[in-house]
Amino acid sequence: MKKLLLILLIIQCNAIAFAQTGFAFNRISTEDGIGLASNVVRSLYQDAKGFIWVGTDNGLQRFDGSKFIQFTGSGDPMPRTAITKILPVDSSSLFLVMDNPREFGVFDFVRFHYIKIPLKPGKEIPPRAEYIAWKDEAGEICLNIYRYGLMRYDKGQQAMIDDDRFHFPEGWKEGLKRVFPDAQKKQWWFCCDSGLCVYDRATKQTWYRNFNPLQLPVLNNERVQDGIANFFIDKKRRMWVLGWPRWNGGVQSQICLDSSGAGYLTGDTAGISQGPVGYVEYHDIHETKIGDLWIYGNGVLFNYDKDRQRFNYINSDVYISQVGITYENVFQVMDDKEGSIWIATNQGLYFTSSVTGTFSVINILFDNKKSATEITDILELPNGDFWFTSWGDGVKSLDRYLKKTENYLYNTAPPSNWDKRIAGSSKLTWSMCLQKSTGKIWVGCNGGVLLQYDPAKKSTQYMLPPEFAESTIRYITEDAQGITWFGTQGGRLVKWEHDQFTVVQNFNTIIYKIFFDRAGTLWVAAHEKGLYELDPASGRVIRNFTAGNGKNSLYAGSGSDIEQLNDSIIVYGAGALNFINKYTGTVRLLKYEDGLPSNSVKRLRMDKNGFLWIITSNGLCRYNPSNNRITSFGRRDGIVLAEKTTMADFQCRQGYIMFGGSNAMVMFHPSVFSNTKAPPDVTITDFKLFNEYQLVDSLLHLPVIKLRNDQNSISIYFASLSFMQRDKLTYYYKMEGLDKEWIKADKLLSVNYSLMPPGKYVFKVYCENLEGIRSPNITEVHIFIKPPFWRTWWFLSVCLFIIALLIYVVHSLRVNKLLAVEKLRNHVARDLHDDMGSTLSTINILSSMAKSKMNVDAVKAGEYISKITDNSQRMMEAMDDIVWSIKPSNDSMQRIIARMREFATNVLESKEIELDFFADESLFDVKLNMQARRDLFLIFKEAVNNAAKYSMASKVEIKIQPENKKLLLLVKDNGRGFDVNKADDGNGLGNMQKRADALMGKLTIKSAAGEGTEIKLTIPIS
Amino acid sequence: MNRFLSQKFRFYSFLCIAMLVFVHGYNLKEGYLQAFSLIDEPLTFTTFIEYFLANGILRFRIPMLFIISGYIFAMQDNKPYPVMIKKRFTTLIIPYFIWSAVGLLITYLWQQHPVTAKAVHDSVMDQLGDNRPYKEIGWRGILFRWIAVPTSFQLWFIRSLFIYNLLYPVFKWGVTKIPVVWFSIMFLLWVTLFAVVFFEGQGLLFFSLGIWLNKTNYLIDKRPEWYSRYLSWLCFISFGVIKTFMAFELEHNIVTIWVLVFLYAGTVVSGLLAVWFGADELVKWCMQRKWFVWITAFSFVIYGMHVPLIEYITMLMSRYMNHLPNHRLIIYVLAPSTVLVISIATGSLLRRLVPKFYRLATGGRGF
Repeated sequence: MKKLLLILLIIQCNAIAFAQTGFAFNRISTEDGIGLASNVVRSLYQDAKGFIWVGTDNGLQRFDGSKFIQFTGSGDPMPRTAITKILPVDSSSLFLVMDNPREFGVFDFVRFHYIKIPLKPGKEIPPRAEYIAWKDEAGEICLNIYRYGLMRYDKGQQAMIDDDRFHFPEGWKEGLKRVFPDAQKKQWWFCCDSGLCVYDRATKQTWYRNFNPLQLPVLNNERVQDGIANFFIDKKRRMWVLGWPRWNGGVQSQICLDSSGAGYLTGDTAGISQGPVGYVEYHDIHETKIGDLWIYGNGVLFNYDKDRQRFNYINSDVYISQVGITYENVFQVMDDKEGSIWIATNQGLYFTSSVTGTFSVINILFDNKKSATEITDILELPNGDFWFTSWGDGVKSLDRYLKKTENYLYNTAPPSNWDKRIAGSSKLTWSMCLQKSTGKIWVGCNGGVLLQYDPAKKSTQYMLPPEFAESTIRYITEDAQGITWFGTQGGRLVKWEHDQFTVVQNFNTIIYKIFFDRAGTLWVAAHEKGLYELDPASGRVIRNFTAGNGKNSLYAGSGSDIEQLNDSIIVYGAGALNFINKYTGTVRLLKYEDGLPSNSVKRLRMDKNGFLWIITSNGLCRYNPSNNRITSFGRRDGIVLAEKTTMADFQCRQGYIMFGGSNAMVMFHPSVFSNTKAPPDVTITDFKLFNEYQLVDSLLHLPVIKLRNDQNSISIYFASLSFMQRDKLTYYYKMEGLDKEWIKADKLLSVNYSLMPPGKYVFKVYCENLEGIRSPNITEVHIFIKPPFWRTWWFLSVCLFIIALLIYVVHSLRVNKLLAVEKLRNHVARDLHDDMGSTLSTINILSSMAKSKMNVDAVKAGEYISKITDNSQRMMEAMDDIVWSIKPSNDSMQRIIARMREFATNVLESKEIELDFFADESLFDVKLNMQARRDLFLIFKEAVNNAAKYSMASKVEIKIQPENKKLLLLVKDNGRGFDVNKADDGNGLGNMQKRADALMGKLTIKSAAGEGTEIKLTIPIS
Repeated sequence: MNRFLSQKFRFYSFLCIAMLVFVHGYNLKEGYLQAFSLIDEPLTFTTFIEYFLANGILRFRIPMLFIISGYIFAMQDNKPYPVMIKKRFTTLIIPYFIWSAVGLLITYLWQQHPVTAKAVHDSVMDQLGDNRPYKEIGWRGILFRWIAVPTSFQLWFIRSLFIYNLLYPVFKWGVTKIPVVWFSIMFLLWVTLFAVVFFEGQGLLFFSLGIWLNKTNYLIDKRPEWYSRYLSWLCFISFGVIKTFMAFELEHNIVTIWVLVFLYAGTVVSGLLAVWFGADELVKWCMQRKWFVWITAFSFVIYGMHVPLIEYITMLMSRYMNHLPNHRLIIYVLAPSTVLVISIATGSLLRRLVPKFYRLATGGRGF
């Protein structure tokens, strides 16, 4: 937003007088209903996000452009008292100074936590002390205590402690009033009752008039020796000194010194003491970022006017409070990030745009105390003067600088033969037109009176042409051919060509406007009869657009102004905006419902950039044809009197657009409202959960706002903290995860989301200014509505995985079971085949042989039969083993051991070998599967058989017992033994080893000739 | 090494590198993916699919490449150490410098036109965070990027591989002498995502595993008895799915990190088993196709060239296709496919026109 300067002129009844240069102030007070706690606003601060922090007499508040929020939080109770100073401690906390009760505190606005900061002075602070807090360029917060000295904020101690870094001259410290930290030179200037001294950080010295090693002229300046209340160095390095020095007789002085402090810049203080009446105090100086100076205090508010090169006193005047400022005390002036000026006063909070030094927006208010000044038409003369027709006061004029100037229109008296009524009509002026070919000016008046003024001769010709039928001349214009056209109250359309008047048409109703489009077609706005399109050559009516309910009807029958938007579109201001396509004849309406401030359009004016400026009964707005958007302009933009300027419009050669009307005129350059700067990023101003406000600062400090699954109805409030532009920004938002497209926000600047399903969301918002320039960044808020774990996808997928795994396990078990059965069958088949098959074959052969020898060789046959007996016996044993091993009831170790004992007893007893069999009962519960049981038993059987057959032992010792969670089988004899190394790996020992391996066990055989044999098997058991 | 094993190596090398292009084509907001990365975006079909692939089931690619590299390197350790290293310098370090320079050249060329320059800028590809045009960065900056922090960031793999090769005697000793201790340490380094400058720990376990498989003559070309195709694919896909959902639904904390790392490890291990042993039929089918075998020859060109090209093409496509519904998913499919085609075409042309350079750039691979 470009900066605006508003000139408010008050034109006295008969004399136009320059009254005041000033600003359009916007007042915020307790009456506005937006939450300001007190009209006494003492301190201001804008934080990094753009919020304005306001210290009122009723405590601390924050302003987001639409409402004030009062803070209460945890920690110490924050007094609702006058906050006289707000200083930032860091990005999330503020240092507050309170007046009564005297208190200092730090408020963490992220955590909403307030702590009281105690003073820890080295000595007692006198009761009449005055406290001024400030922050130096290093970020340290200091406190001047008049009549005591200097203290600083110690974060570690959370207290104010004495600041002894500076070596004040003896007795000066107690008189310390103000400090100016000079960031550029890293020097601190102390204003003391005794004079001015400066602490130089580089040398760590304090210089004053008696110790001035660099001979700083300012320290030696005779007028800067005592009573200094304030010292300020501006961007031009000028030194400003405020105080009550003795040289001025104790009267307050304001002096400006050059950068050395020696030379007096008296020209720079021009106007600084002009204006205030009565006792006033100049307290402070504020320099804006663009170098504008403001001086303020008790009863004073000055701004340096760069154009006039003098200070401009901004009067506290209730009379102009519509745009002015009312105050007794100005406590603080601050410029925000956009350059707007904020003023804290005892009469409320004000803000205004700052000064650029060029006239951008001008409001002219005519004094109507004696008579009304109805501006009916405006004209710019070739010399730059402006003429205004008025109903009753004739034609008034201003020069190009908007100062009153004389015109000579009435120097020539009306014809003597005119009666008083007709002669008086020449002051009831309504319309004007400059005749380009001659430079003469037509002035249309009441009763059909027409004046033609010749600026060259400064003479006026009075006419009363009968063609006007004594009807007021409402509009005069000139076409491209130089023909002048007149429209009258009575409805006559008259043209002036070849020095004669001709009635072209008679509409029998008021003609408000005559308009020639770019193609030369004539359009006439007629009262109640709509809009006529005429052929100017013949005067024939081509078309007549009227109001009604039909297609392509106008919104209203009476229209006051006509403009051309482009080659094909004529805009007619009749109630609403009527866009008429001159080629197709179609009419499109743009109404209040579409964003127009009012369905009472009064004036239209196109600017050079193609924007249509509109005066409605509700003020000024602009239509942008490229996006079909209407934007209103009001007091924040410096447009104060637009509602009154409904009668006349004009565009100056320099591009200024003027609207005039009842006692008022508005003049502005359209480019003022073009903004090429991007608006500030959108800020989330509030966050509501189920209609309850949350601590938005705290929330926004979180990377993600995490909510429970039942906390799923939220409202988000947002705004770009541009206090000048905020009403002209368009906001777009989108909740990623819910919204597919960007949504244009309504004017409430908030959005509600109800019953959001659990999930991750990103709320995004940005804004766009009138020129379509977006805020630099999209503001995002990450929201996570946590689902209950049983409703999460990951949990469901884990469940599915487990189910699939179970299916796999069940399937595997089934398959393994089938495989086990198959394996068992194979095993039994193999055993039957191996053990039974070969033996039966042998028996078969032996029986055949025995049969054949039966009658031949009975002895041999007997041998064969004996062998058959042995084989069948062995087969029975093998069969017994197979059956035994298959039988599930034999799975227990107890049964295995019983069988082992039985077998050993049978075998060894037949050989008369003593058996010592020991089995530990703790093994009885051990279970072995079929194969393991069989392998174990066969190892045992082989060992016992070997002992019985080959050992020649007299005693065999067998032990079955647990050992280190394993089963130990020991078969030991006292026989003749054998050399283990020389033993062949026949089936016996080899099979034992294989079976031990299958059991995952360990088989050891210890034997030596004459020392018996010991076979030891250990197998793992569960 | 039998013929089928050789075919499997070639097939899976190509597969892993082709998958790498799709991983690097990932175009969600947070482009840098770690094993435990969480997604700060709503769960949609696009976001699920991209994360599921890029940070889920395609995570096995680098481990598999390291296993293959370790196995092949161990096969050739009968040669003297200096000879082996010299060969590795030719096959790894020279291609590293060549493809690093190619990445710089591609970037520089893209910076010459406003449209493509915008794509380069928006891709924020520079590892040093300085996304100014190379003209502004100067020769010193370019040299540093060429040698140490290439724009083609994927080259870390061959750089690490070369360092592993240098340390091969240590690996071999550890794998053969103290396998349990060695693999325990390697496993810990893997799951803790250990990495120091020029020595990324992600490949240590798998390079060691490759050596072990070779030195124990493990029959990796045959499906082991204990292997269950169903179980390995079930775990592979399930872990990937669960991890993806968790990345969207869990909050960032230490427990989440470890859960995700565990799932990542599970996905990689089950993925290696599933893919290696579970797709023999596919390997045979593919390797019987001449066109497929022809394409696999350009694996290294795809590897060397795809970054930064994939990033720039993705950005460019995003610019012109962002009005389409599901444009991110479309781009995720289109951009890597385009890069694959460009890389194969480039490789084919280089092999035909400048075979000596091609041999140098691919380290003798790709014929």
